[in-house]
Amino acid sequence: MSVAVEKIGLYPRFRRLALPRTLISGAIIIGVSLLIAFFPALFAPYDPIAFDYKALLKGPTLAHPFGTDSFGRDVLSRVIHAYTIDMQIAVFATVGPFIFGTIVGAYVGYAGGLAEAIFGRVVDAVITFPFLVLVIAIVSVLGPGLGNMYVAVGIVGWVFYARLVAAEVKVQKRLDYADAGRVMGYTPMRIVFRHLLPNAITPAIVYWMTDMALAILLGSSLGYLGLGAQPPAAEWGVQIADGKNFMSTAWWISVFPGIAIVITGLGFSLLGDGLAQLLRVRR
Amino acid sequence: MKKIAKAALAAVLLVGTSLSAVAVERGGVMTYGRYADSLFLDPVLNDANVDIWILSNLYDTLLLPTDDGKGVQAGLATEWKVSDDGMSVNLTLRDGIQFSDGSPITPADVAWSLKRAANKDNGIWNFLVSSIDDVTTDGDKTVVLKLKHPDPAILAALTVFNTAILPQKVFEAAAGATDADKAKVFAEHPVSSGPFVLQSWDRGSTMKLVRNEHYWGKGEDGKPLPYLDGVTFEVLPDDATRILKLNSGEIDGAEFIPYSRVEELKSAGNLNMELFPSTRVQYVTMNARPQIKGKDNPLSNPKVRQAMNYAVNKDAIIAIVTHGVGKPLTSYMSSATPMHTGDKPLYAYDIEKAKSLMKEAGFEKGFDTSILVLAGNQDEIGIATALQQMWAELGIKLELQQVDNATRTQQYRDGVFTMREAAWTDDIADPNEITSYFVYSPTIDALHTGWKNEEADKLFDASQKEIDATKRAAQYARIQEIYNAEGPIVPLYETPYPVALSKKVHGFLQIPLGNNFFGRAWLDK
Amino acid sequence: MQNIGSGALPLFSFVLRRILQMIPTVVFILVVTFVLVRLLPGDPASAMLGDRAIDADVKRINASLGLDKPIPVQFLYFVKNVFTGDLGTSIALKLPVTTIIMQRLPVTLMLTLMAALLALVLAVPLAFLAALRREQTADAVIRGTFQVGLSMPVFYVGILMLTVFGATLKWFPVGGYGDTFADRLYHLFLPALTLAFSFSAVLMRNLRSSIIGVINAEYVDFARAKGLRPRIIMTRHVLRNALISTVTLFGLQIGTLFGGAVITETVFAVPGAGRLMIDSIYGRDYPVLQGLTIALAVLVSLTFLATDIFQAWLDPRVAR
Repeated sequence: MSVAVEKIGLYPRFRRLALPRTLISGAIIIGVSLLIAFFPALFAPYDPIAFDYKALLKGPTLAHPFGTDSFGRDVLSRVIHAYTIDMQIAVFATVGPFIFGTIVGAYVGYAGGLAEAIFGRVVDAVITFPFLVLVIAIVSVLGPGLGNMYVAVGIVGWVFYARLVAAEVKVQKRLDYADAGRVMGYTPMRIVFRHLLPNAITPAIVYWMTDMALAILLGSSLGYLGLGAQPPAAEWGVQIADGKNFMSTAWWISVFPGIAIVITGLGFSLLGDGLAQLLRVRR
Repeated sequence: MKKIAKAALAAVLLVGTSLSAVAVERGGVMTYGRYADSLFLDPVLNDANVDIWILSNLYDTLLLPTDDGKGVQAGLATEWKVSDDGMSVNLTLRDGIQFSDGSPITPADVAWSLKRAANKDNGIWNFLVSSIDDVTTDGDKTVVLKLKHPDPAILAALTVFNTAILPQKVFEAAAGATDADKAKVFAEHPVSSGPFVLQSWDRGSTMKLVRNEHYWGKGEDGKPLPYLDGVTFEVLPDDATRILKLNSGEIDGAEFIPYSRVEELKSAGNLNMELFPSTRVQYVTMNARPQIKGKDNPLSNPKVRQAMNYAVNKDAIIAIVTHGVGKPLTSYMSSATPMHTGDKPLYAYDIEKAKSLMKEAGFEKGFDTSILVLAGNQDEIGIATALQQMWAELGIKLELQQVDNATRTQQYRDGVFTMREAAWTDDIADPNEITSYFVYSPTIDALHTGWKNEEADKLFDASQKEIDATKRAAQYARIQEIYNAEGPIVPLYETPYPVALSKKVHGFLQIPLGNNFFGRAWLDK
Repeated sequence: MQNIGSGALPLFSFVLRRILQMIPTVVFILVVTFVLVRLLPGDPASAMLGDRAIDADVKRINASLGLDKPIPVQFLYFVKNVFTGDLGTSIALKLPVTTIIMQRLPVTLMLTLMAALLALVLAVPLAFLAALRREQTADAVIRGTFQVGLSMPVFYVGILMLTVFGATLKWFPVGGYGDTFADRLYHLFLPALTLAFSFSAVLMRNLRSSIIGVINAEYVDFARAKGLRPRIIMTRHVLRNALISTVTLFGLQIGTLFGGAVITETVFAVPGAGRLMIDSIYGRDYPVLQGLTIALAVLVSLTFLATDIFQAWLDPRVAR
């Protein structure tokens, strides 16, 4: 422990000028993922929804490097085509909550008082409300599908960002530089968004990047309950759920989409850490 | 070595008593993994298979189903006779029968139990015994059923769970104002007439049954049944967990093995993978109304329905979804249902015929339609995904709508669904239940499809009072002919009940109606 | 150690105020749940009776449950009963709702609590290690492992755990729930670990990033310049400040943790409130759903309260 502490004195200064390595590797992973997401047909060897009754549950071979599923569909092609949907889920399910939550959080954290009291009740209500009731209610009104999943996730998700940002802003606004801003006669808007937020937003960004991976996983849980992406579309979460009964006999159905989630999630998390580092340097 | 000695000893004993080939062993508690817990242990007021399928271990009926599920044998009654005009049934009770509290089972208990089962205000099963007008007693052993009309299925009905015999005095002494309130209290600690008694019940987790010391049944060794000291049900909703627990030896049996695991478990050395014959049929229901929610419905055209039937490759679905465990349907009712007719699969795959039928119907280009799928149910999703591909050949664009069960039931009941997946299991060893729901329009509009066939309705009415078995079989043959040709369903497959048992379990039985019988089960020591 | 504000009185009034604030939240959630579940398609009788029930039976049973009355009337009845401590009777299980909740909720509470503890035990030391060895092998290994944990669906992790530690190594039972307290802790260990897996990943990532942020902050430099011992710097300055957002996240994620319990309880055959919740949604068991919602609303609010108090202790400026 003590060795490490002595080190930290030097470490950050040493790195301050270069782009963080995490940022670069994260950007590469996400860049490639986006490329696949936009042009899956360029990479996939087969039609992802075509059945082959003669090749049900075949293990990895040269013809099917990731094997085939219970319908004889090529798992590799399905994993590749799933990039389109899963990158969508990762971004669409989280970007709205991130922006809205950050703005609300910044306001609430700075204003305090009544705004904070009301916000507190809203957070309690949103978090406590049984999520599944909400999803089923939305699905029963709008029908199952990804769009409605975004709605359900959005209704709940913004709260996380808002609460993270509010807590940080609350701390930041009592630091010297915020007082300095007030002394200088800046408007609260300017103090919050130009000065406090860049410092307070880091946990929200880090969480955002985690949240993208969580959103894909939630897609899996909802797909498991039949409320996410609809068949025959390929989606990693649904693929893993499909493979549940075959874990002992045809592991490849669920393992390969799982690896895709790990890699993509890693990409997002590296990107998030990189961004956080960059923001801290800018301070 | 020890085992051999034991077996030899058993063999010697057997020669002496000359009973069956394997000597039964007594004692022990069998632990059985179920996919869901029971809800309500009242024979009349329950609603679901989770109750029905284990009730016969607690409550005995006057007659019992034979092991193949098609005939009847003696239960609490040892003799039974339907009068020549078919208007009454005389039953003689077994000597010395007692409830689990040691009190005698009297004709009054029987009359009260049957009247309760037939009461129109009680539960949803009273239609099975709707022919009962009155039940009278004669002396201390005889019960007489007076019928409203001759009922060819009355003996089968007396084997069904809802006609089980309960102790009238104990039930009526239970706290509560109404029958339903009393039932709730009684069912918490029921007094049994079956081979087992409820000992304890941790909702959602475990239910423990222990042997009923007063049960009348005799085992192969001449001593009273059951062989087991008790049965413990463990609720293990996840298929994979249930199998793992069985493999690790923590439980002795597991129900509802997913079809995808059957092959694997068959080759497992420590298990017996049983496939008990069943009455379970899997099918797709098609709304046959001319219009649904104000829009014209192509499915109302019988030719379209036939075309869609021919376009479905059942063998492929059986391979994909049941991994070869199922077999194609030869009628809308399972081949284990009495009076089933038909020896070849319905609508063998023929895409050319399907296309020409679509052309004749004026839907050469196909149409857009949808199917309700139970959300998250892998089998249903598999079927729907396969149908989507197969019907695409006809230009039919099938949209999958995954909804929860209550939502689907609502749309079904309101008759506003387009198509839905469904499965059916008989509750009575007679074709009348399935036919009443599938074919006979007054019950529920033929599976809520709005389909109606005058001839089939008339035949069913007649068959319900026909006590000549040959004539009745002919009526059912004709009903099946009509329905299988133009009915509102896509028959898919029938499947057995996949149950995996430890090698030390013997004598466990699940009959085609689904009831689990532990009364004759025993365990190797 | 620092104190909250100045003395016990402000804390007391803070807690009291928060508890009073919980009341409107709980009432609001209750009303929304009450109305929303009744607006969902389907009704208890059809959900319970399934496909076979004929219309007359459905009508008769819904009427016997009082569900044929208008929703406001039903709500008045409900409120009246709540004030007498009666949450009604489960439609599916035919037992008093209070009895069912008292059976099921403690199970989930214990599971969630164990999962939260395990997650903290895993996340805090490893986050420190990763932050201090930033961009070195240890950091990469820790982050990689947690990323895998974060990316695996609960049911998948659960079945893997059961296969390895249950069926194969036989260190733990394959699902189920014991009879005695110790036995139950033993049964709940694997499910709690499963839940803790992704939870600790979320915490670890947040904490690691916060620690890195705090280490760079001026006041730590200042403390170092003052010549404070590294251990004091780490505990008093770094950990304390880094925990602020992690504690917030921890509180927020308790709700999610409960959501994850639904699937965990199914896989591990634990008779908890998560499974009860799903069953009662699908079964349209309104009374159970209402009772559970009230109980959960109170519990989650209490968790928030606890995290707020803890946060105030970490950073007295928060509870001014």
